[in-house]
Amino acid sequence: MSPNKYDVVIVGSGLAGIVAANRLADYNLEVLLLDENIHIGGQILRRIPQNLGVGAGREPSQVRRIGFRFIESVKEKKIRVMNRTKVLGIQPEGELLIEEDEKRAYTITADIILFATGARERFLPFKGWMLPGVLSTGAVQILIKGSGVLPAKEILIAGSGPFLYAVAYEFVINKGTVLSVLEQTMLLDNISLIGRLLYQFPKFTEGLRYLAKLLISGVPIRYGTQLIEARGDTGLTEVVAARVDRSGRVREGTEKVFKTRALAVGHGFVPNIELPQLAGCELEYSQDKGGWVVRVKDDLETSIERVYAAGEITGIGGALKSITEGNLSAMGILHNLGKVSENEYISHLQRLSKERRHHLAFGKCLNTLYKIPHGAIRSIPDETVICRCEGVRMGDIQKAIANGYDTPGALKRILRVGMGTCQGRICGPVLYDILSAYREIPAHDIPPFSVRVPVKAVSCGSLIS
Amino acid sequence: MFPRNAEVVIIGGGVIGASILYHLSKRKIKAVAVEKNELASGSSGACDGLIFLQSKKPGPHLQLALESKARFEHLQEELDLQLEYRNPGGMIIIEDEDELKVMDSFVEEQRNTGLDVSILDPHEAREMEPSLSEALSGATFSPLDAKINPILLTLAFISSAQRFGSKAFTDCEVTGIEVKSGRVRVVHTTRGKIETSVAVNAAGAHAPSIGKMVNVPIPIKPRRGQLLVTESVPPMVTSGILSARYIVAKFNSTLEKPQKGGISIDQTYNGNLLLGATREFVGFDKRTTYVGIKNIATHTSRVIPQLKDIHIIRAFAGLRPYTPDGLPILGKVEGIKGFVMAAGHEGDGVALSPATGALIAELIDIGSTHIPLDEFALERFHS
Amino acid sequence: MTEDIMEELRISTVKRTERIRISVNGRETYAYKGETVLAALHAAGYRVLRRDKNGQARGAFCGMGICYDCLVTINGIRNQRSCMFEVEEGMEIAIDEP
Repeated sequence: MSPNKYDVVIVGSGLAGIVAANRLADYNLEVLLLDENIHIGGQILRRIPQNLGVGAGREPSQVRRIGFRFIESVKEKKIRVMNRTKVLGIQPEGELLIEEDEKRAYTITADIILFATGARERFLPFKGWMLPGVLSTGAVQILIKGSGVLPAKEILIAGSGPFLYAVAYEFVINKGTVLSVLEQTMLLDNISLIGRLLYQFPKFTEGLRYLAKLLISGVPIRYGTQLIEARGDTGLTEVVAARVDRSGRVREGTEKVFKTRALAVGHGFVPNIELPQLAGCELEYSQDKGGWVVRVKDDLETSIERVYAAGEITGIGGALKSITEGNLSAMGILHNLGKVSENEYISHLQRLSKERRHHLAFGKCLNTLYKIPHGAIRSIPDETVICRCEGVRMGDIQKAIANGYDTPGALKRILRVGMGTCQGRICGPVLYDILSAYREIPAHDIPPFSVRVPVKAVSCGSLIS
Repeated sequence: MFPRNAEVVIIGGGVIGASILYHLSKRKIKAVAVEKNELASGSSGACDGLIFLQSKKPGPHLQLALESKARFEHLQEELDLQLEYRNPGGMIIIEDEDELKVMDSFVEEQRNTGLDVSILDPHEAREMEPSLSEALSGATFSPLDAKINPILLTLAFISSAQRFGSKAFTDCEVTGIEVKSGRVRVVHTTRGKIETSVAVNAAGAHAPSIGKMVNVPIPIKPRRGQLLVTESVPPMVTSGILSARYIVAKFNSTLEKPQKGGISIDQTYNGNLLLGATREFVGFDKRTTYVGIKNIATHTSRVIPQLKDIHIIRAFAGLRPYTPDGLPILGKVEGIKGFVMAAGHEGDGVALSPATGALIAELIDIGSTHIPLDEFALERFHS
Repeated sequence: MTEDIMEELRISTVKRTERIRISVNGRETYAYKGETVLAALHAAGYRVLRRDKNGQARGAFCGMGICYDCLVTINGIRNQRSCMFEVEEGMEIAIDEP
C-alpha cells in the first residue's frame, strides 16, 4: 500500500471510531484513524492526558472504562492515528483533503470511508449569552476532565437534558459549587424519561448516582425554568431566570437573579453531518434522532457506496449506541471487503441491529426532551444575538423572514448569518428552529446550510503547494 | 398572486436582471423578474465586489464601465439597503518583466483616452499597500476603481424595484417562450405562464438555454471562478487588487501562460478577504476543488505574504458567462420582436450592472439608447 | 493584569507532573504541561480573551474547537483556538485586554 492510500479511513476517534478501528485492525487492513483533537477518544473519553499527570483515581463509569480499553487497544494494535488532523473535503473516488497539524494540507485516498464525526452541542440563545463566563456544558466538562481546571469556583448550570446533571456532578465532586441546575423541561416529562431509562441499565444507575450526589450536596434543581438574561460588563456577573410553561413561554413574576461569574448552558446535541453531506450522502430529518442525520442502511453504509456512518451522526443516541454502531459499521465494511463469511456477517448484523434499535429508542426519549419548543423560540427577544460570529440579532432575522427572505440561503445572503468562521455550526440549528417556528412549516422542509470545501477553517499557509 | 401578464419579463434574478428590474421601475414600467433558484444565488452571489475601470478595454467596454461608475456614485442614495460601496482605488500588480511591458502599453492606451491611471514602481506600490510582497515588478493604480457588496447590490435593486410595485419571483424556472408572428407573446414558467411582449434574457451562464427556447444560438459558456474567503481581519488591503495576468489572460490570449492564473484580492466591508480566482471551463460544475483552492492560496500568498497565517473559512465558485470577445451581449435580437439580450458579462457583471440596467430599460422604454449598443449586439457573432 | 479575583481553579486531586513557564501579554505566569491554553488561561485568571469587531469582550464558549470564540495569539500567530492547543514551555500568548 503506497503512503497516503488506505483501505479504510475513519474520520473521528470517538467511541464509534475507535471501536470500528479495533474491529477492522484484526483483519490485516490498512486503517487510518483521524481526529482534529489533540488526543483520541472524542468527547466522552476526555481525561487528564499522560503528559499532564494523573487524575483523582475515581472509578470511571462503565462506558469510560470500556472506552479507555479501546484506546489502549488502538495503541497495542498499532493502528495508524493522526491527531490534530482535519478533513477539509471529500472528492469523488474516495479522495480526502486533509490538513495535518494545522501546517500542511494534502490528499489521501481511501477504499472505504467511515464517518464517525460525533455531535456538538445545541443552544437556545438568550440575552447576554456572548459574555465571557458563559460556557457550554461541554466546555466545562472538557476543562475539568481534560485539563483538571474548574472554569470558576461557583457555577450556574442551565438548559435541558441529562447532560446538565453529569456536568453538575463533575463540578461538585471536584469541590466546586453548583448554585443551581435550571432545567427547561417539566418535572413530569423528566420522570417519564426515568421510567423509560429503566431498560438502559448502566445509564440508569449512572443517572441516579449523579442526581443522588446533587441532592446530597444540596444543589437545587429547578424544573420548568429558563434563562432570561446573562448580565455583566466585560464578563458575566449575574443571571436572570424565570419559570416557563410547557410551550416555553415565560411566567410573569417568576424571575430570579443568581449572582455568578460562570454559567454553563446546553440543550442537547446536533450531529456533525457536514462531511457526509459534502460527500453527497443522503440526509434525513428525524426528530427522534435529533434533527438532520445521515441516512444509513442496516449495515450503516450510506447512500454513497463504500461510505459508512456510525455514532451520533446517524442519530443522537448516546455512548452505547456509538459502541454498537462502531461494531456494526465495521462488520458492514468487513462484509463489503469480503473479509467475513456471509453467515458470520448475518449473525452479527442481527445481534447488533437489535442492540441498535434498543439504543435508538433511548435516543428517542432523549431527543424528545431536548427539543426546544416553538414558544421558546418565539419568545427570544429582538436584541438577542443569534449568529455569534457576525452579530446578527433575532429582530433582524424576524424582519428579513417577514420580507420574504425565508430560507437559510436567503438569510445568509441578506444578513450574513452563518457566514462567520464557525460556518454556521452554532447558529445553524437555531436558525432552522426559527424558520420552522416563524414560517410554520415542518423542520424537515428547511434544508440544512449547503456545505463546501473547506469544511473547517484552514490557514492559507497550509494550502500552499 | 402570480401575474398572468406583465409589460416585461426579466429572466434571471442576478445583479443584471435585478438592475434592469429596478431601472424599468424608475421608468414606471411594470416588470416581473423570474429566478429559477434564489435571488443572487448564481454568479452574483459567488463573486468578489471589485469595480475596476482600469482593466476595461478602451472603447465601448470602458465607456460602459465609466457610465456605470458615474451611476454607482449616487446609487446608495437611491437604493434602500446598505451597499457597502467604497472608492479606495484599484491596483493591478505586475509580477514580471513580460507583464510590465504589456501593462506599460496598456496603461498608455488608457491614459490617451483620458483615464486616470498610472504605473507605480515596486517601492511606490508598497507605500500605498504595505502588505504587498517585495518581489513585485510594479503595479498600476487608478483612483477610479471601487468596491461594493454584490449580493446586497442585487437584493437592493430588487427590493427598491418592489417599492415601485415591480415583482420578483424565486423558485420560478422558465420552461418556454412563445413567439408568434415574430414577436414574444408568453413566457412559460414552473409557477405559471405570463403574457408579455418583452422578455429579457438576463440568465447569465444559462442564457444559451433561454436562447434555445426561441431558436437563437448564444455563444455564452460557463466559466467557473473559484474564490476563497478568509476570516474577518483588521484592515490590511485598502485598494482592490487584480493581477496583470488577469488582464493579459482576458484580452491577449497569445500572452496567456497556462497554469499561471490571475489573482484578485478584495477586503470586504466586513473585513473578510476575498481571494480569487480560477477560470475553468468545466460545464456547470459549481464545486470548489482542491487544485483550485491550492492555486489561489499559493498565488495570493505570494503577493501578500501575511495571508499565510490567515484562515480560509469558506470557498465558493460562480459560473461567469464567458463570451468569445470578452464583451457582454446587449440589446434587441434581430428577427424576434421583444426578445432582448442582457448577458455575457464574464467577471464584469457587478461593475457594469448600473449601466446595463439603465440602458436596457431605456431601450425597452423608448426604443433606443443614449450610448449605442451596436458593438454589443448578438449579431456580431453571426458571421 | 489578571481579573479582580485570582482563584485557585486547578483541581487539587490531580497530580501534575511538569510545571512550565508561559507568558500572557508579556507577563510571565505558569501552567502545567498537558493543559490546554484555554485551561491555563482560566487558571491564571483570564477569561476575557479578545475583543470582537464590534468591540465586545469575548471568551471561550464551546470548548471543543467549533465556535471560534476562544481565539488568542500564540507565538505571534493570530486567531488560534486556545481550546485546541496545549501549552508549551516558553509559549507567548497574547490576548486583547478586557
